[in-house]
Amino acid sequence: SSVSLQILFYVNGAYYIFYFLATLAMIVYKSQVFSYPDSFLAPDLALLFIMAILEALRLYLGSKGNLTEEEAPLGLSLVLTVGSALLCIYFLAWQTYVLQADVILGAILLFTYGLESVLEIAAIAAFVS
Amino acid sequence: VAKLCVCDLLVAQCDVNCCCDPDCTAAEFSLFTTCSIPIVTGDSRLCSQKAAIYSLDVEANPPERIFKLIDHINPNVFCIHTANYKQAFSFISPETPTSENFDQLLKQFGSATFSTEFDSWNINPDSQSSSDTNETYRYEYGVPIQTVDAFVRLPSPVVSSWCSDANPAGFLVNQATKCSRLVSVEKCSTIQAVSMLFYINSSILAKWHEFVFQVNITVQSIIVQSLNGMRTLLNSNEVLRLPTVLDELCINIVLGVSYHITYTEAGEIIEAAASFVLGAITKETLSIQQSFEISFTQVNTKPVPLSGNPGYVVGLPVRAGFRPHGYPLPNTDKHGQLTILQSTSNQDCLAAAGARTPVLFGYNMISGCKLRITAAMECQLLAQTLLDLLKGQNFPEYVASFGNSQAQDVLDWVPITHLHTSEQVKIYNVFQSSCQIPVSLEIEVQWTKYGSLVNPQARIVNVTATVTTAALSQLPSGRERTVPITSSVVFTDISSPAEPGYKARPTINVKLPFDFFFPFV
Repeated sequence: SSVSLQILFYVNGAYYIFYFLATLAMIVYKSQVFSYPDSFLAPDLALLFIMAILEALRLYLGSKGNLTEEEAPLGLSLVLTVGSALLCIYFLAWQTYVLQADVILGAILLFTYGLESVLEIAAIAAFVS
Repeated sequence: VAKLCVCDLLVAQCDVNCCCDPDCTAAEFSLFTTCSIPIVTGDSRLCSQKAAIYSLDVEANPPERIFKLIDHINPNVFCIHTANYKQAFSFISPETPTSENFDQLLKQFGSATFSTEFDSWNINPDSQSSSDTNETYRYEYGVPIQTVDAFVRLPSPVVSSWCSDANPAGFLVNQATKCSRLVSVEKCSTIQAVSMLFYINSSILAKWHEFVFQVNITVQSIIVQSLNGMRTLLNSNEVLRLPTVLDELCINIVLGVSYHITYTEAGEIIEAAASFVLGAITKETLSIQQSFEISFTQVNTKPVPLSGNPGYVVGLPVRAGFRPHGYPLPNTDKHGQLTILQSTSNQDCLAAAGARTPVLFGYNMISGCKLRITAAMECQLLAQTLLDLLKGQNFPEYVASFGNSQAQDVLDWVPITHLHTSEQVKIYNVFQSSCQIPVSLEIEVQWTKYGSLVNPQARIVNVTATVTTAALSQLPSGRERTVPITSSVVFTDISSPAEPGYKARPTINVKLPFDFFFPFV
């Protein structure tokens, strides 16, 4: 089992909680300050919650796969990472209002995902062989 | 951003001190002192936006305008990096109503004002019936008076002056409306709104929404107006007169309806009467003007209109009366009102139909007519006729000093002082003895403010009626002269300015105790 991957999962989890709360707070702030019609607010909030669920699942599977040295959960986690990355890009570029803080947080998260996927591929390669 | 210029108000002309104005040349820029708008940017919440900066370089000779287009960076971490919602930064233009979305827009934005259904007024019974079913329904102020089929209509002009028959009469809302209606002799029996039956057909519901008790509308009086405008009151008023064609005229056309509704304190209508003015139309008449009014009286009361309580209210008629012989109290009735001559479109004094207009408090009025004098007119008769014309049939002797003066309070009534002046007072000549005819009547009403400073009441102090006469010089026969006759009412405020009362200045009352300087005194 890869120690660096496990550390990364742990850091990712902590950071994601911060990211989730910050993004939620900013959406609330945007809805008060800017004109945010309900038809735009609802999809943004829904996607944020879906992302949270996806992230929790992904981190659990990845950490389980890493610790038990099985490729299947790790592979699933990799696939879910792609989904999470897409959602992160959504919050980075395609949201209704993208603030500078959104960009900074999203960039850090995306960087973390990138690092994670590399390490996961390495771990899968290590376990398969 | 480079093209936006808020100070560019004059088209094709240079605005002063407006550095972004494209109509200005370099020579004009050199005359400016400052730039009224130094920077033009988009929404400042964006992270990066273009900004146009205008400034004047005063060091150079002549001064020149500097224009820079830069990128303005917002350092705030919460600046908007991207906005994918394009309408965020501008006002949303509302939907244009078309025939497809009109109904949906009406449902969304229309309220009782634009509602065309009668049912929208029936919202209250649902809440009433749920709260108290035993209480009887009653009319409240403003509620449309209901009849068996719909409601009492008072046709009134809506947008233009044409009559709209869907205007309901509100309970306790005294209204008077005038509107025009298209008529023709051929269709006079088919147009519903010109026949008496249309207005008295359905009976009024005595209580709101209760069909059990109904009140029939009785015909109180019928006045028939002839083609030249003369009105006569008919003696028998129970007969229903419907429009009929007679000799190329259509008679019994409704020209005016006046409803009088009697109600009780419980909000119930117990009596309804309508007075009609019927007229006739010829083949050339295209439209007639109808006037409608409705008034409400509480049962067992005799309303006396006051002109103020206690001080006169501007716009209400000045109350006046007579003092009959032997009876020390003036009696007041509507015929004793203070009136002046009303100018008519036909300015001939002698042909005037005797139209008079009541004197309203606070409104200075002037009216007049032209008198054509021929040689054949007899002076004394003319003088008497003019005096009657100026003063009217019942010129009152007393005027009420307060708007609510009662007939019993003799001291509350001010006598009218009559003065006579002559026009050619300055000319002391023999012609003073020639006949004088009155040419003007001026009524001066002096009033003062009475009562508290905060809420002063108007009180009439003095009324003077001045008749000015002029000598009527003899005319050679065959010639005629036109003399203008005027009558006017002037209200003068003779209240003395209020004197404020000041309280006494506070004094400092310092007394030293008598043993203040003890060891030394």
